[in-house]
Amino acid sequence: MKKTPTPKPAKVKVATMWLSGCSGCHMSLLDIDERILELVKHVDILFSPIVDIKFKDMPYVDVGIVEGCVNNTDQEHELKMLRERAKVLIALGDCAVTGNIPSLRNQFPLRECLQRAYEQAESNKICCIPNDPIVPKLLPKAHPLQEVVKVDLHIPGCPPDADTIWFALTELLAGRIPQFNETNMRYD
Amino acid sequence: MIAPKKISLTINGQVCEGEQGQTILDIARANNIYIPTLCHLKGLTAWGGCRLCVVEIEGSPKIAPSCATPAVDGTKIITHSERIVALRKATLELLFSERNHICPMCQYNKGDCGLQHQGYIHGITGIRYPYLYPALPVDVTAPYFGIDQNRCILCARCVRTCDEIEGVHTLDVASRGIKNQIVVDMNTTFGASETCTNCGACVANCPTGALFDKASAFRGQWTSCQQVLTTCTECPVGCGLKVFTKENRIVNVWGDPDSPVSKGHLCVKGRYQTWAEPRDRILTPLVKGKPATWDEALAAIKKGARVKKAEKALLVAPRVTNETVAAITAAAGKVGQTAMFVGTNEAALCAEPTFTEDALRKLQDADAIIVIGALPSRDNGVVAARIRIAVRKAGAKLLVFHARKSDLDQYADVAANVVSLESKLWDKVKATLANAQRPAIVYGPNAMTPIGVTVMERLIAILETNAGSGEPLLIGLPVSANALAMSCSGIVPVEEIGPWLDAKPLKYLHIVASDAPDGGASLLEEKHVPALLEQIGCVVVQASYRSALTEKAAVVLPATIWCEKSGTVTNLEGRQLPVRPVLPVTGEARDDKAILESVFA
Repeated sequence: MKKTPTPKPAKVKVATMWLSGCSGCHMSLLDIDERILELVKHVDILFSPIVDIKFKDMPYVDVGIVEGCVNNTDQEHELKMLRERAKVLIALGDCAVTGNIPSLRNQFPLRECLQRAYEQAESNKICCIPNDPIVPKLLPKAHPLQEVVKVDLHIPGCPPDADTIWFALTELLAGRIPQFNETNMRYD
Repeated sequence: MIAPKKISLTINGQVCEGEQGQTILDIARANNIYIPTLCHLKGLTAWGGCRLCVVEIEGSPKIAPSCATPAVDGTKIITHSERIVALRKATLELLFSERNHICPMCQYNKGDCGLQHQGYIHGITGIRYPYLYPALPVDVTAPYFGIDQNRCILCARCVRTCDEIEGVHTLDVASRGIKNQIVVDMNTTFGASETCTNCGACVANCPTGALFDKASAFRGQWTSCQQVLTTCTECPVGCGLKVFTKENRIVNVWGDPDSPVSKGHLCVKGRYQTWAEPRDRILTPLVKGKPATWDEALAAIKKGARVKKAEKALLVAPRVTNETVAAITAAAGKVGQTAMFVGTNEAALCAEPTFTEDALRKLQDADAIIVIGALPSRDNGVVAARIRIAVRKAGAKLLVFHARKSDLDQYADVAANVVSLESKLWDKVKATLANAQRPAIVYGPNAMTPIGVTVMERLIAILETNAGSGEPLLIGLPVSANALAMSCSGIVPVEEIGPWLDAKPLKYLHIVASDAPDGGASLLEEKHVPALLEQIGCVVVQASYRSALTEKAAVVLPATIWCEKSGTVTNLEGRQLPVRPVLPVTGEARDDKAILESVFA
């Protein structure tokens, strides 16, 4: 029996981005398992570290999802670009929301951090702070996204549970702003 | 006493009854109305610091912290309005942004943390304020716990606990504004603190991960642990323990708030020493120092025990359960002599055991406390805490007579060596006790020396001359855990073990060292008993930990420890307190009672 094709509604265009994070939030996104098949019925993931097709330029999207915090000049530039091109920007995971582990360095001057990592580290034999102009400059402090751009939705968690991510995405697809409480959110 | 006036107020439209003097929060809680709190803790004075419990009072333009605001008859209270909830959220966001609350790397996360919980129920996802990321110190110099200032929310629950429950006031809040922080003593570290007793009550009452127990950090959140209520068997006070276990290991030990004796408080012995320290456990029977099976060990004992009844003796540690005492009494019929070994001067204290009903509660109500020949701050920390509270909070007089100095001396009106009998001192004692209406005398082993007895008689004589003074409350405070009940069952306390062993030519000696800490039977080591054992043909030691005793023994039988036992102990108030098994038995260890029954079958 053949079905008559019905006109499909336009898919929601999504970009995801990975700044200073551990990729755990993207792993958690993949942890929605078979529900991803349901998700791609409604969503086109155009730009992401976990898709094969790379765009030369960042596309304009409906939703931008960002993991990790802003640690260097390159990440700052990328995030600002995504903010311009995404209608809704989501900070996914504790690094994006609070700074989390990368922000531990904020208690110390940047110079000391670099010296500890590149000059005093027991494992480092070269003993030189990278200074090639191609290497993006570290910012004096690591910043959660909202200190750099306007963030529309925060999803805390390290990483957020797959169920939390699924809940947030389905709510957004249904046209609602997800409401988090003790049942569907955690900070750790 | 006049009954407090009944009042009634309306909270969220619900009429709530209460008593004059109660706070709004008290009445709301009693009526199952939820108001979020962080700095409030039942049993401590109101602090009003976290501002989460703010409520609106009709007719007042200001909001009020419900934990610190006395309820007024007829007022109308609103606990959750748009304005209040917005303020609470803002307060929480300020708390989150002020210090480095990095939940994923906190040992206290996943459901235990009060700050996290409040964040969840208020739906806080992102923080609107800039994070301050201050550089703050972590102090891990204390033996059993540490303080991480990064996670502190300055609720001062630890400060109040230290001051109002343990009574030492080691912790306090120093500096102002953004530099405000919890300090130890005069801004030193826990390790260098002269006042900290390591009781760990502050850690148990900390709502975040700022104060943490080293041995339980990252070992599992207590909300997911099994909880077993049991009794501490380290001293005769018998405090209630709430033991948290997970996958057959102890995660933490807290005081049982419903314990009739200690009401949730513990000292360092019960809180940490029994589990947070590595101890050299004996897990299999040993014959001549080599591991053996139980059958081999029992056969070796049978061989060594083929001597006359008069040549056999049984020596028991004063810390076994009442059920084991029954087995000891049964075994006593098969040996020439039986005794329990107790500390110096303790024999006289245990020989005529007296139990004081409800001693700890009455002690806190006393208006004059005399401590004579006892060191509660070393041996019975919870008694010392009660004394400090009575003296510091209720203004009770304190007189300490002991040869050794202790931290109680600094709170004492009179602190003297027990042998000092100068008349000048006695004039001062008389003056101090002049108005005592509810005196209490806490006497320990050293009160049983001739001079100690003289001092005590003199004190009682002084108290008797006081007009209107009731009978002094006498609390006997032995060091040994269950010595009083064991003495009641007819086991003779002996302190001079040397002469006791030499009195008869012994060929077989069975020692029940049980789970005595510091490797078992330090008391016997003090009396040079291990050296004496070499003269005896066959020495059998049943013990949980390795010690000089077990090295000298021909046969060592592994005994269970406090968290594997079941039975009862009797505390100094005469209460029968349950000892429940918390963990399954480790290795080949067996219960003291079962071992005695199989050896003396």
